[in-house]
Amino acid sequence: MTYALQTLIHERSRYAAGVGAVLFSAVLIALQVGLLLGLFELTSIPVDHSSADLWVGGNHVESVDLGRPIPASYIGRLNKPGVQMPELYYLNFANFTKPSGGYSLCTVVGTGLTADHAGCPDVLTAEHRQLLTESMTVCVDQSDLGKLGLERVGDRGKVNGREVRLVGVVSGIKSLAAPWLLCSQTTARELLVAVNPTYSDHVTYLLARCDDPAHAKGIAKELAAEYPEMSVYTADEFSTKSRMFWLLRTKAGVALGYAALLGLLVGAVITAQTLYAATMASAKEFATLLALGIPRRKIYGLVMTQSFWIGLIGVTLAYPVVHLLGYVAEQAGGRVVIRWEVLLGAAVLTMGTSLLAGLVALRSVKNIEPMSLLR
Amino acid sequence: MPSASSNPSLRSVRLERTFGDGATRRVALSQVTFDLFPGRLALLMGPSGSGKSTLLAILSGLLNPDAGQVLAWEGGGYVDVWGMSQTQREAFRLRQVGFIFQGYNLFPAFTAAQQLEIVLKWGQNASSSDARRRSHAMLEGLGLGGQMNKKPSQLSGGEKQRVAIGRALVKGSKFIFADEPTSALDWENGKLVLELLRREAHEHGATIFVVSHDSRMLPYTDIAYHLEDGHLGELSRSPLADLS
Ligand SMILES: Nc1ncnc2c1ncn2[C@@H]1O[C@H](COP(=O)(O)OP(=O)(O)OP(=O)(O)O)[C@@H](O)[C@H]1O
Ligand SMILES: [Mg+2]
Repeated sequence: MTYALQTLIHERSRYAAGVGAVLFSAVLIALQVGLLLGLFELTSIPVDHSSADLWVGGNHVESVDLGRPIPASYIGRLNKPGVQMPELYYLNFANFTKPSGGYSLCTVVGTGLTADHAGCPDVLTAEHRQLLTESMTVCVDQSDLGKLGLERVGDRGKVNGREVRLVGVVSGIKSLAAPWLLCSQTTARELLVAVNPTYSDHVTYLLARCDDPAHAKGIAKELAAEYPEMSVYTADEFSTKSRMFWLLRTKAGVALGYAALLGLLVGAVITAQTLYAATMASAKEFATLLALGIPRRKIYGLVMTQSFWIGLIGVTLAYPVVHLLGYVAEQAGGRVVIRWEVLLGAAVLTMGTSLLAGLVALRSVKNIEPMSLLR
Repeated sequence: MPSASSNPSLRSVRLERTFGDGATRRVALSQVTFDLFPGRLALLMGPSGSGKSTLLAILSGLLNPDAGQVLAWEGGGYVDVWGMSQTQREAFRLRQVGFIFQGYNLFPAFTAAQQLEIVLKWGQNASSSDARRRSHAMLEGLGLGGQMNKKPSQLSGGEKQRVAIGRALVKGSKFIFADEPTSALDWENGKLVLELLRREAHEHGATIFVVSHDSRMLPYTDIAYHLEDGHLGELSRSPLADLS
């Protein structure tokens, strides 16, 4: 250990390239995954900004924004011990007509509006909730105003041909493609019925809190087994499912995989090259040890230990860099989700490539011959 | 001088070695037979390309001869250096053989003491404290007591070569091979290197084989050989060597 580390420190300018390469690939992977997770976090916003423990939808709901209408009468099925008062939840794509004309896609989100309601989005203030009780009013996120051609509170647009009025602007529920239109259950029903009469006695989801959220998983399982025509998820499951669905559906994961692979490859090649060159530079010293009868595997061990340290130092330096760049990205309006699982994964992957690079560099040790010292 | 000096410690028997074939064929050694004795410093001289390094490599177990034998005295009998397996030969070199080359080949990152310690730790699995103690004692004996913690960049050429000698001796090698050990040094430093090697022979009974083209060394050696076109001849014998 000490010999490898001592060499690294003494010839730090030589090894800097390898450390830099490891740092680069670790940062690249962590930030890419972070950005992607940040992006797809937007797909599960309705789930993440509610306080329900259970989400009940139609059969095979893949993502929260792809719910199909289910009979509102299913609400009785949630009458179970441990489950609190269930409530109706509307969520469906709709067509938005801008005040200036022109269309945009939007998502109508109709919920109960008291703070007690599990579905009520937590970004709504008491004032917003009060204002939304008036029929045909909506709130939208600051960042979506432009997409909807709205400028200020009081502006009007049309949803599925029915006029709505903007009564509040919130922040924290940015959309990916279809801006979220927050409104009351009554407003949502009216807007959705306009194009889909089923919604007169149907809803998209039934939501409930549990007495003990820890029991939500068990209850969801029971309900799903009992009623195969319903999907029943805990909030966590549904959130993850929504994100994963879009991540996979959009093939963004594949793009990410390729980019990460490229980053790893670049890191591995540079690290291997660094170690190779460093080993060649010490070839005469190693040859002397071999002449003295020191087993070659000791030198292999030294090179592998060096690759381990290069990996460890690179990964350690990557940690603050990822946080710094994540912070910069957030300041620029992006969203980077830095999770310890991702950091650990990136660390393991890059450490692995570094060790692999060490294995490749061992080829240089193989060719060292003591005879080369005799002239 | 140790009593074992009457028995040769290293015997070469009709060594042959050629390089290349056809038009590029070159006989480096031809019918080389001679004995080396413990407690003596032997010098091998000869023109460039006469096969000196080739002979040193064959005697020390680094390069195989085409024909002939190298017999080394170990543990009360002779072992055939080129009759053993590669692994056995490496183990033999680890137990018995030390090298000094023209270049010092010291690790730039390590201190003088560490250059020696690494040999003990990696070669003999010595503990850190044991390796340090033995390395320090060796460097003290070579007059490098004040240089223990210096890295090669802080040492003079002569000091570096003495560290290299320490590295060759520290594991207790009984056979020391040196190929042009002084040619990068000035005469004063070169003389010091020779004296240290001679002391190792006389005080510890080591067999020392030095290749050089510098005839100024002759007075400092116990016996000298001359190699020309692959043929070996005796050049001189010091009065001390005649004692045996
Ligand atoms: N690997 C090799 N391949 C081909 N020829 C070789 C090889 N090694 C040595 N020779 C040849 O064998 C002969 C002896 O070489 P050697 O290195 O033993 O000479 P030397 O006496 O040590 O010379 P110098 O004093 O220049 O070091 C030379 O003619 C050399 O060209
Ligand atoms: Mg030579």
